[in-house]
Amino acid sequence: MNRPRQAIWTTQTTEVVKTGSWRAALPEYVNAPAPCHNACPVDGNIAVWIRHIENQAYDDAWLTLIDNNPFPAVTGRICHRPCEGPCNRGRLDESIAIRSLERFVGDMALEQGWPFPGTPVSKAETIAIVGGGPAGLAAAYHLRRMGYAVTLIEAQQELGGVMRYGIPPYRLPKDILDAEIQRILSLGVDVRTNTRISTRADFENLQSEFAAVYIATGATVPKRLPQLDYSKSWVIESAAYLEQTNAGRHPESGTRIVVIGGGSAAMDVARTARRHGKEVTVLSLEAESVMPAQRDEVLEAKDEGITLISGAMLQSVSDRAQHDLELACIRVEFEAGAVPGEFWVTPVPESEFTVDADTIVPAIGQDPDVTGLQDLMEVEAALVRIDGQQQTSLGGFFAGGDLVTMQRFVTVAFGFGKQAAVEIDRYLQSGTPARDRPAQPEVSIDVINTDYHPRADRAKQQLVPAPERQISFDEVVLALPIAAVLAESQRCFNCGHCTFCDNCFYFCPDMAINREHGGYSVNDDYCKGCGLCVRECPTGSIVMRQETR
Amino acid sequence: MNQSSKKMLLTGNHAVAWGARLARPKFMACYPITPQTPILEKLTEFQMAGELDAEILTPESEHSAMAACISASMTGVRVFTATSCQGLLLMHEVLHYASGVRAPIVMCNVNRTVASPWAFWPDQTDSVSQRDTGWIQLYSESGQESLDTVIQAFKIAEQVVCPVLVNQDAFYISHALEPVDVPAQETVDRYLPPFQPEHVLDPERGESIGNVVSPEMFCQHRKDIGQAMQLAIAVAQECDSEWERLVGRGYGIIDPYCCDDAELVIVTMGSMCGTVRHTVDEMRSRGRAVGLLKVRLFRPLPVEALRDALAGIPDVLVLDRNFSPGTGGVLHQELKGALYGMADAPHMHGYLAGVGGVNVPPRKIEEFVDQVHRSKPAIHSVWSG
Amino acid sequence: MELLDIEDQHLFYSGHAACPGCVEALAMRHILNTLGPDTVAVVPPSCTAIICGAQPCNSLKIPVYQTTLESSAAAASGVRRALDAQGKHHTTVIVMAGDGGTYDIGFQALSSAVERNEDMIYFCFDNEGYMNTGAQKSSATPLYASTGSTPAGKPSKKKDLTEIMAAHEIPYAATATPAHLTDLVRKVKKAKSIPGARMITVLIPCLPGWGLPDDAGIAAARLAVDTGMFPLYEVEDGQRYTLNQTTRTRPVRDYLMMQKRYGHLTAEQFDEVQATVDRSWARLVERSAAAH
Repeated sequence: MNRPRQAIWTTQTTEVVKTGSWRAALPEYVNAPAPCHNACPVDGNIAVWIRHIENQAYDDAWLTLIDNNPFPAVTGRICHRPCEGPCNRGRLDESIAIRSLERFVGDMALEQGWPFPGTPVSKAETIAIVGGGPAGLAAAYHLRRMGYAVTLIEAQQELGGVMRYGIPPYRLPKDILDAEIQRILSLGVDVRTNTRISTRADFENLQSEFAAVYIATGATVPKRLPQLDYSKSWVIESAAYLEQTNAGRHPESGTRIVVIGGGSAAMDVARTARRHGKEVTVLSLEAESVMPAQRDEVLEAKDEGITLISGAMLQSVSDRAQHDLELACIRVEFEAGAVPGEFWVTPVPESEFTVDADTIVPAIGQDPDVTGLQDLMEVEAALVRIDGQQQTSLGGFFAGGDLVTMQRFVTVAFGFGKQAAVEIDRYLQSGTPARDRPAQPEVSIDVINTDYHPRADRAKQQLVPAPERQISFDEVVLALPIAAVLAESQRCFNCGHCTFCDNCFYFCPDMAINREHGGYSVNDDYCKGCGLCVRECPTGSIVMRQETR
Repeated sequence: MNQSSKKMLLTGNHAVAWGARLARPKFMACYPITPQTPILEKLTEFQMAGELDAEILTPESEHSAMAACISASMTGVRVFTATSCQGLLLMHEVLHYASGVRAPIVMCNVNRTVASPWAFWPDQTDSVSQRDTGWIQLYSESGQESLDTVIQAFKIAEQVVCPVLVNQDAFYISHALEPVDVPAQETVDRYLPPFQPEHVLDPERGESIGNVVSPEMFCQHRKDIGQAMQLAIAVAQECDSEWERLVGRGYGIIDPYCCDDAELVIVTMGSMCGTVRHTVDEMRSRGRAVGLLKVRLFRPLPVEALRDALAGIPDVLVLDRNFSPGTGGVLHQELKGALYGMADAPHMHGYLAGVGGVNVPPRKIEEFVDQVHRSKPAIHSVWSG
Repeated sequence: MELLDIEDQHLFYSGHAACPGCVEALAMRHILNTLGPDTVAVVPPSCTAIICGAQPCNSLKIPVYQTTLESSAAAASGVRRALDAQGKHHTTVIVMAGDGGTYDIGFQALSSAVERNEDMIYFCFDNEGYMNTGAQKSSATPLYASTGSTPAGKPSKKKDLTEIMAAHEIPYAATATPAHLTDLVRKVKKAKSIPGARMITVLIPCLPGWGLPDDAGIAAARLAVDTGMFPLYEVEDGQRYTLNQTTRTRPVRDYLMMQKRYGHLTAEQFDEVQATVDRSWARLVERSAAAH
């Protein structure tokens, strides 16, 4: 008996149906810049090195850091943190304590004695760097890494520039600075200290010895207040005050010191004077909330017993007796301009007041010394003018750091040094144009799925209590314990950098994301373009691309 | 003839229960309804006594009962169930489902009046109104026949892969006691091999059933069912003949009685056949040329056999113990269609007799015969009490 | 961040006809891969049935029996008993049905099957409406939601299926969502280890039905839980309640405003919904505390 036919049982799977034909957009895995990266003056790959910390691969974190910055223990203490403001985590709760994490890696490298990977001299050219401060040292490092021979010429006894002679040791201990400088020198740098290059002839002579010259002589000429008589013994310029302190001497002054200025230099000299047991008042043009000094410096200064008078200016000084001064002051409204260094001040009528003091320390900023340069190259408003390739108007002469900009930050100077190395290299190798990387848009908080990032408090470095600080030049800010470092690194969104969490793989209803070695791929036979993978990505590493067919 | 069959005094319902038990079903899902309940109760007794190795499911409704029967059948086990009137109607959706999915389920239906209004009397409207659902339908005239037909039904169902409905009238058959020959288990085992479906729900096989189909697939599937139904006529005959060889009892798919040289043949289904047979004997003994054509297989309707059996008969009287509003008697309507175009077609008379369970004694049937002689054939079914 | 780590047994195939972004397909993927290959599924007319595919294809590796809309639990009982009759007690029988086939037309059969403590795991994919036929209301549709048959908003509350199952004292009843995959997988594994009638109601935000963009299914499910509108909890034997979340972190308004079907709500209606959620939550907290 023949069985009747039964054609209604299934015989195959739905895999024959290529649902990829439904979609209008396909997901693509991208590496996109995090806002911290874009804000970092040295182009630091912050999301990547923080991820290495999270994975407890501290040496990998260090290698990533030193790709752009040879001074992580320094920047981990004194960088002005332009990265932390735009940090996307700050849009959820608090930004990542990036500088604290950088310090952790920098300090570990010093403790463990990790050297820079060695680079032999592989290029014919030798480059002169005039100025052994942040920009010069950074340039030396990057040029050495590219295989150039470098000669570093420094007017002072020691290298370091503002890092040594400006920033006090309680912010940046000297042994840390020395170790990080020495590590660069160990790559093989010809150093000539106590050598001043200042005249036109000095600079012209360099041209014959070197294939290119990088000038990074900084800004060492103090600006002057017109209402102050600098010939008086009761006026000590801030740079001089700090230099004397760094050399181990107590500057001669009375008990009551008024520091004029609102920037880091003013905070440095005020807090140094406090450690000398002085009564210190700071008089700042800028209102407290917009003082150029870093906010934590201002708070630490106030904790140390410094009186801050902000939004006020000195009009005149009466010298009642030797070291018994009456400062006539007035409240002002301060308005900053668009260009760094530009500002307007409006005195507030009938707001005069007086302050008594023994010594005045003006700390209102410095200008570069361009006397030897202004005949050789274009100088504008006391700054050397450079083009987009860091080159001055004199061929073969490059410049950077405080010499060329009013952005007076150590990390900015490091960035200049790094960029100079790139440009000098391009200049010497006949200017092969840099390959333009197709730019991915910066990762915004909108593409981060914060549901995957539980709320957690930002790590806070502990401070030595203020009473102890006032009598010591030991470091004020203590390191984060390792548990706090790891916890903080976990708060990082890793914007634009995949962390292999597998969310995209698990959340695809069509199994159209494959896990592969080192990442993921999209199966375009079946992807319907729904975008769930993009939305559930905790790092913003996937974007939808419109498809045209 | 039979090894150790035993004679028992059984009601029609209990005879059905015995037939089902002997067929060795592995799953039964039943919902009680008068007058079917003794079938369910007897089967449960058998199971509790360890005499029936089957899962018995008692869900909350007949719709669920049939739904469970179908899925169990698809999972590869032999399935039996029973119901009546309202229960059968409630199953209507899933009756279609069972035939559509090709589940070889055997169900006994006890023919009872359908509500509204409420009543408990014999009436075949419940099952004849399901004639389009794709179930093979057999009508039994006695408890013995019900037992034998239930066993045959499994063999037919599993060969053509269609569900089978075995019908017996309420109370006249279901509750009336008669001596019934209950065959031995070995006899039934010889007749009915273990159930081995070609397709089954099994994780090791991985096949699925019930997915949406295209119009062409659906049409082909209906043709396949139609083909199976066509085959069922011969298969039903064969199964009956084989059973007859084994136990000495056969019933045919239609059963002509005293039809040779009859001037009038009465055509009917179910318990009415018994009454008509008795009346035919009576009338023949008085010289009246009447006969009975029992329709046992109603679906598929054995059209060729009916045409052969009724060719040359001058008058045919269909007795319908059912009523379809707007049409009349269903067997009447079906037979008219079956005989249409015959060269020597009989005159067709259709009487609605016993609708609602109204008693139709032999005396009444004699009256019908006289009435037929006196009147011209009417197109429509005639109400005759 | 909690990392997912779920076994993938490849029991669900690509090429299925779910809408782009459908999280019911996602739930099916992970449920099937957790249950394993020794499983038979019963599926009524529903989105699930469409996802299973059109003849001759199946998107599931396991056998699927598609039954009528009323009869999932009955058909599953039939499969279960037939397997048992063949000695295949190790094979898991599951139902994957929508809320229509569970709360409404399928409710009768469900109540009967669980009263009999039939050995099956019943997954209700609750997208709060008859979505497959174009988003008409079901008794699972929440108060005030706009649907094809209640365009001005449903005037009655959502039926509480888990509580009804608890009242039947079934061995295990739980809620889950596809946004909480680790929790869902844990509950599937737990259910599999318990004999008898087990029910897991999975909240499925329906993108066209609720008015959500293609990529919002997970976010919506997460918000449903975070607002307490769909709390994650388990009930064992109708007695022991376990609340799987300790807090609600968002007001219901955030969840409702995400969906077009609530776009017409007034401030009073938002407040009313919040109040009902607060009451239900308080009751759950009390019961969970009593059990632990």
